[in-house]
Amino acid sequence: MNAPRANWKGHITFGEVTCPVALYTAASSSERISFNILNRNTGNRVRREFVDSETGKAVEHDDQVKGYEAGNGRYVVLEPEEIAAAIPDSDKTLAINAFIPCDEIDDVYFDKPYYLAPQQSGEEAFALLRDGMKEAKVAAIASTVLFRRLRTVLIRPHGDGLIGTTLNFDYEVRSAEEAFDDMPNIKIDKEMLELAAHIIGTKKGSYDASKFDDRYEEALAELVKAKIEGKPFKKVKAVKASKPSDLLQALKDSAGTSKKLAGKPKSANSNSSRKKATKQSGSGSSSRRKTG
Amino acid sequence: MALRPYWKGYLKLSLVTCSVEMTPATSDSDKVKFHTLNRDTGNRVLSQYVDSVTGKPVRDKDEVKGYQRSEDDYVMLEDEDLEHVALESTKTIDISTFAPRDEIDWIWLDKPYYLTPNDKVSDEAFAVIRAAMDKQKMVGISRLVLGRRERAVMLEPRGKGIVLWTLRYGDEVRDEADYFDGLAKEKPEKAALPLIRKLIKKQTRHWDATMVSDPVQENLLDIIKSKKKHRGAPAPKKAPPPADDKPNNVINIMDALRKSIAADNRRSKKK
Repeated sequence: MNAPRANWKGHITFGEVTCPVALYTAASSSERISFNILNRNTGNRVRREFVDSETGKAVEHDDQVKGYEAGNGRYVVLEPEEIAAAIPDSDKTLAINAFIPCDEIDDVYFDKPYYLAPQQSGEEAFALLRDGMKEAKVAAIASTVLFRRLRTVLIRPHGDGLIGTTLNFDYEVRSAEEAFDDMPNIKIDKEMLELAAHIIGTKKGSYDASKFDDRYEEALAELVKAKIEGKPFKKVKAVKASKPSDLLQALKDSAGTSKKLAGKPKSANSNSSRKKATKQSGSGSSSRRKTG
Repeated sequence: MALRPYWKGYLKLSLVTCSVEMTPATSDSDKVKFHTLNRDTGNRVLSQYVDSVTGKPVRDKDEVKGYQRSEDDYVMLEDEDLEHVALESTKTIDISTFAPRDEIDWIWLDKPYYLTPNDKVSDEAFAVIRAAMDKQKMVGISRLVLGRRERAVMLEPRGKGIVLWTLRYGDEVRDEADYFDGLAKEKPEKAALPLIRKLIKKQTRHWDATMVSDPVQENLLDIIKSKKKHRGAPAPKKAPPPADDKPNNVINIMDALRKSIAADNRRSKKK
C-alpha cells in the first residue's frame, strides 16, 4: 500500500533528546445510519438555511461572525483573527514533561488515539523511549498545538511503536468519584457475592472486535417493512428488575444453569449465540425465567 | 451538578436484573461557546429548515425522519416508531462475557459513561454484580444500542459504580502494521538504557488534573473580558509559544541523555 498520510509531523523531545516523528489517525468513526429530514406535509426533503433571528432574512456565510453571550442578550463579537490570537504558535514539538506510572492513569480522560512513528534518523531515539517506557511501565505526558488547541497527549508504548492519545481538558471530565459519590454503601451478602463470582467465572471469554456485528440497521429495516405492510411491530420482551427478596434465588438459579453450560468458552460476538438469542429457544442466554 | 441521565434501562447478569441509568463521563458544557451572529445587525443567526421544493420554512413539528427506500422514495418514521426496533440491547445490557481488563487494549475505548442503579430496589443487585466483577478482576462485555447503532460495550467496576465504555468497531481501528512496519528491529544502544531509566525515574510524577488544563480557553476568556471592558480595544498580542527551545537535530543520543540528567540534577538542587 501507499505510505499512509501523516496528520502531523514534528518532534518528540525527552530531556535533551530530539526525535522526529509523524502522527497518524489510529481510529476513525464509522457513520451511523442517517435519515433524511422530510416535510411531513409535502413529503419533500428539507434543506438548512441560516436566517437572522429578528428579520428572518437569510444570512450569507461571509456575514456570519462568532459572538460570545455576555448576558442580557448582548454579545461580544470575536473575529477569526482574535480567536486565532488565543492559540499559541505551534513549535511542532511534543515536549515530554513528565512520566506517569501506567496504573495511575485515569482512562476517562482519553480522547482520540494516534499512532506515532519515527521519521528518518529518529529510529534509535524512538526505540530508546519506547523500550525505556515499556520497562518502567510508564506513559509520558507531552503537550503541543494540535488541531488549533494546545493539547495534552499521553504517549505510551504499543507493540513496536507508540500511541499518542489526546486527553480531554479538566473541565470536560466529570470525575468517577463525584459521579458515584451519592450511591449508598451496600453491605454485600457473602453467599451472593460467591454465586455472582461463580457465574462470571462460567462466562469467561474474549472480545474480538472484528467479529462484532451491529444489528441495528437490519432491525430497522425489519421495522420499516412492518410499517409499510401495516403489520404490528415485533415486541421485545418486557424486562423487570429482580426483587431484592428474590435476588439470592435468582443467583442460585443462574449459577445452576450456568454450571450446565460451562463447557465451552463463549464469545461475546459470535453469530451462533446471536441466533439463539433472537430465536428465544434452546439453551444458553435464552433459558431465562419468565418475569412477572 | 445534577446531570440528566443519557440512557435508562436494565443491567442483567444471567437471571439477575437491575434497573440502571447512565450519564456521560465527559461533557463540553463548560467549554467557551460561541453563537453565530449576523455581522450587519448583531442579531443571532438561526438555522432553519425549508422545504427543498417550495422553499417555505418547515415548522419543527412538521419535520419527520425519512428512511430512504430508493431514490426519491422515503418512508416516514416517527421517533416513537424507532423505539420499537426489536433488539433487546436497546433496553438491556445483558453481560454475556467476561474478560480480564488488560485483554482489551486502550485503543478500543471510545466513550466513557458512568453507570449507576436507578432505584432503591436495584441497589443490591447492582452492588453484587459490580463486586463480583471486582473480585474476579474481570470486565464485562455486552451490547447496547446508543445513537441508532448497536455498540459493543465494556463494563469496568470502579469505586461503588461501573464505568461503561463504548468500544470501537473492528473496522474503525487502523492496522498498526501499516505504521509500525520495520520498527521491531530497531533496538536502542545498550549503553543508553541506564541513562533513559535514570531520566524516566527523575521525571516520573503522579497524575494530576492540572496536566490537562486548557490555556487557549483561558486566553479566549481574557480576550472576551478585555473586549467587554474596552469596546474596540485592539486584540491582545499573539500568545507566546510553549517555552521549549526549538529542536535541533541531536546527533548523539548518549550525549543528549547525559546532558538531560545533568540539567535535571541542577534543577532539583536549586529547589
